[in-house]
Amino acid sequence: MSRIGVFICHCGENIGGTVDCEKVAETAAKYPGVAYSVDYKYMCSDPGQNMIKDAIKEHKLTGVVVAACSPRMHEPTFRKAVSEAGINPFLCEMANLREHCSWVHLKDDSTTEKAEELVKVLVEKVKRNQPLEPIKVPVTKTALVLGGGIAGIQAALDIANSGHKVIMIEKSPSIGGHMSQLSETFPTLDCSQCILTPRMVEVAQHPNITLYTYAELVGLDGFIGNFQASIKLKAKSIDHDICNGCGDCIAKCPIKKIPDEFNAGLGTRTAVYVPFPQAVPNKPVIDRENCTYFTRDGKCGLCAKVCTKGAIDYSQKDEIITIDVGAVVVATGFDIKGTDFFPEYGYGRYKDVITGLQFERLASASGPTLGEIKRPSDGKVPQNIVFIACAGSRDPAKGIEYCSKICCMYTAKHAMLYKHKVHQGKASVFYMDIRAGGKMYEEFVRRAIEEDDVNYIRGRVSRIYEKNGKLIVKGVDTLLDAYPVEIEADMVVLATAGIANEGSEELAQSLHISYDQHNFFAEAHPKLKPVETNTAGIMLAGACQSPKDIPDSVSQASGAAVKVAALFSKDELTRDPLIAYVNRCGPPTYSTCVGCFLCVSVCPYLAIEKEQIKDRNGNLIKEVAKINPGLCQGCGTCVALCRSKSIDIYGYSHSQVFAEVMALFNERSLENV
Amino acid sequence: MQELHNKIKSILENGSASLFIAYQKSREGKITPTFITKPEQSQKAYFGDDCKQNLAVYIHKQEVKNFGKVGIFANIYTLKSLLQIYAENQIRDDYLKVVTINPNGAIVEFANFMEIENYVNENKPAPNPEDMERVEKLSNLSREERWDYWLNELSTCIKCYACRAACPMCYCTKCTVDCNQPQWISTPSHSLGNIEWHIMRAMHLAGRCVECNECARVCPMDIPLNLLTVKLNDTANIEFGQQAGLKGELDYALSTFKVDDKENFIR
Amino acid sequence: MSNFEPKIIAFVCNWCTYAGADLAGTSRIKYAPNVRIVRFPCTGRIDFMLLLKALQTGADGIIVSGCHPADCHYTAGNYHARRRWIIFKSLLDFVGFDTGRITFSWVSAAEGAKWAQIVNETVDKIRDLGPYTDYSNLNKLGVGTITEVLNARTA
Repeated sequence: MSRIGVFICHCGENIGGTVDCEKVAETAAKYPGVAYSVDYKYMCSDPGQNMIKDAIKEHKLTGVVVAACSPRMHEPTFRKAVSEAGINPFLCEMANLREHCSWVHLKDDSTTEKAEELVKVLVEKVKRNQPLEPIKVPVTKTALVLGGGIAGIQAALDIANSGHKVIMIEKSPSIGGHMSQLSETFPTLDCSQCILTPRMVEVAQHPNITLYTYAELVGLDGFIGNFQASIKLKAKSIDHDICNGCGDCIAKCPIKKIPDEFNAGLGTRTAVYVPFPQAVPNKPVIDRENCTYFTRDGKCGLCAKVCTKGAIDYSQKDEIITIDVGAVVVATGFDIKGTDFFPEYGYGRYKDVITGLQFERLASASGPTLGEIKRPSDGKVPQNIVFIACAGSRDPAKGIEYCSKICCMYTAKHAMLYKHKVHQGKASVFYMDIRAGGKMYEEFVRRAIEEDDVNYIRGRVSRIYEKNGKLIVKGVDTLLDAYPVEIEADMVVLATAGIANEGSEELAQSLHISYDQHNFFAEAHPKLKPVETNTAGIMLAGACQSPKDIPDSVSQASGAAVKVAALFSKDELTRDPLIAYVNRCGPPTYSTCVGCFLCVSVCPYLAIEKEQIKDRNGNLIKEVAKINPGLCQGCGTCVALCRSKSIDIYGYSHSQVFAEVMALFNERSLENV
Repeated sequence: MQELHNKIKSILENGSASLFIAYQKSREGKITPTFITKPEQSQKAYFGDDCKQNLAVYIHKQEVKNFGKVGIFANIYTLKSLLQIYAENQIRDDYLKVVTINPNGAIVEFANFMEIENYVNENKPAPNPEDMERVEKLSNLSREERWDYWLNELSTCIKCYACRAACPMCYCTKCTVDCNQPQWISTPSHSLGNIEWHIMRAMHLAGRCVECNECARVCPMDIPLNLLTVKLNDTANIEFGQQAGLKGELDYALSTFKVDDKENFIR
Repeated sequence: MSNFEPKIIAFVCNWCTYAGADLAGTSRIKYAPNVRIVRFPCTGRIDFMLLLKALQTGADGIIVSGCHPADCHYTAGNYHARRRWIIFKSLLDFVGFDTGRITFSWVSAAEGAKWAQIVNETVDKIRDLGPYTDYSNLNKLGVGTITEVLNARTA
């Protein structure tokens, strides 16, 4: 038999001014199973809460209904109060007399009547509440970091330094990401490699970090604290345990004309290669798509002949490994649009119209020109250079409405670097707005304009075409009343839009995380959960979420690392127990579930699995559905779908919601249970 | 017929099944199911246009399952049912030997459900025009007339559950109608409980019913129960392009969705 | 009939419509007191049988409301619910229930005003339609014996 206590709150005048609380308490006292009913000015106050606690003890209450404000407001307060009085917090429910009643209706008998019925419904529910315990799930204290750019590196180091294991995977042969391609960084103009490479080495040498380069995630199963990652280790064709990185194979490789990804296509590389001199690991891989040994059926084999260590292994195969991890940091970075995206700028036909990333390589001391600004077509030093900001970005007609965020700053940097290297040269920048929000950013742009004499023109470039060996850049200066501007340039640099990586949609799907219309990964909340995804245990860092500069990427990476460290600070996770379950009963039925598995695909969290019930000798008796309590979030969609009502859910069980609905307009159905 | 007898005989002899479910015809001309366990009984089997019962229902019976490997003679609706319950994980490919007679009168023995799927799709029966016409006619009545019609029909239901027993898709161990905690459906056979029961039954069969009409045939009160599921199948087909009993892979309108499903009725 | 006060039950999800109704409260938007909200985690949890039960116990109208498409707290519960409603509504229409008494709606946590409007419009509509007794009255009829029913049929 239930002994329910009903506590009607006046909330000062908020409820009491409209609802006759005394009458509601009197009516509630008559409902079957109600052992105590009272009204009070402020239930959430200390004396109010004590009233509840005392009543629980004095009247041996088995459940409590607090009729006050919205449960979204004070449910935790009252659940805590009842648990302090010794009953399970889940035996307390709230009737919403304020937001759903007194605040939206006039003072009238009908409002009081509604309040009574809302209380009645919750009394019927709470009679059927069960004591519940938070779910505890163990945590595997290893983090998986996807991507070895600056965001991944920072996250990995922060997690590793807080004492936890990290698995880092990087799809290319070296970590370093886009930052390793940059010449110098704004707003300080310090050399990118100089600040990055020590971090790269630290990752490789850290005792808590296991690094897999030339590797890709192929699948992620499981749930927060308990993921299983399947990782494909692509065949490097070189045994890195034996290789000493001498580079003889690279020197001898006859295939030398492969466009070099690291130099953004401006240089060439061999088929066996290390992407750049400071690569980590600094050992080569064989690019099988371009190596003659693989494309022409075993011809060549020069590298194997010159390798004194015998490290070349053409027979290596791709390998799939599975690793248990407790959390994932996604730091897969971004890409940029190529010049071929712009019909008005020559569709990529003009060799001397290049992207910002290509300019970085030209300006880099380790680049194809060793840091001299020479144009790709003929190697001459451009005397008149034009930079175009917002190439693609903020252009709904091109399908990219957003601001790529980094271009204003790096364009200022490029113009400055050019002026530092070609003193007599002329640099012009076409821009829409200068977005230089950030510490020392505005000052940096002013320096480019004022000290380095970069000609900033506010306006867009409508066309570029070639004429007599010059690139004619036609635009307007909107600050001069849309006055047409025409510049005869030697080279043009497009600050092309930052975009999501190719394949990010598929990656998001295999991680079960959301992504936006541009395929950037979606944070769980734009303001308050900017590093979490809506899949618990998976965090975001860096430009895979949206284009970001280095400080922002690093900050977010550290934020993600703290989220992971906080998760790993406990041996067990506790979760809300309001989840679904498949019933079990005695033999010979074992469960009323018949194993039709129509429910499997309705679960948004892939929480429904097949479970085999076996007898003592291991013979299969029955196959039934099983809900993984670690994955279930408690939506109850499977509960309503199941024909035989074999699935139920704590907190919104069949008997609870049935009783609520039956009680509402029908006095006869009330019974004490 | 001899061919069919020989086929059943050889299946039982070579051990591909230890029980064969088929139709038989009594001297009075009554068609009933028969359960053949000995090769020499094979000549009991009968087939003709009058063999309408959906034999797939027996596949769920424990007495049948105890035989292990089972053979079954299936008309086109039985085939559709078998395919649907296979998609719903209720039978295993290697435990069932299915035989049918194709429209040319030749015996067809299926090696697996893939073959059944192909056969069913090639020989898909058209919707029964008579049923479609009745559904159409009812749909064109006023709401009050439809209510009166169904109230009149369903109030006669005696809750014998023959419709449930005859349906191969009603294989739950415990039907919700038998559930008393809470009592979802009133037990007495009064009109309200009857309507509840038949609404629930139809909802559970929407997009799963193969339209064999067995429920209506077995109803002792002659209630045209099949019209409810025929109507819902029609809805599932029009709204979601889903049809039951045509795929060995699960294809069920209510366990999936499209982002652009109809919502003109939602405010 | 002029004294008729419709009894409306609302099946709402916790994350959008329940919160939207809370917002109507904090915004002090006044609406008709005829509605009683029953809280569910998600529209995906709402069993069609509960709608029948509500009509059986005397509800004159029903509101079913959850998160807008793409806003579901559980990513897809509302999409599954929407399919079920399409099938269920088709069946109720076919059997002759008055489905005009059921309002399906999406009300987000930010749409307090929309919630008030949905309630008011539903109440007005049901007030015009009058009490719904077609179904609930059947509960009050006696249980016919098989013989009676059979006689009625042969007659």
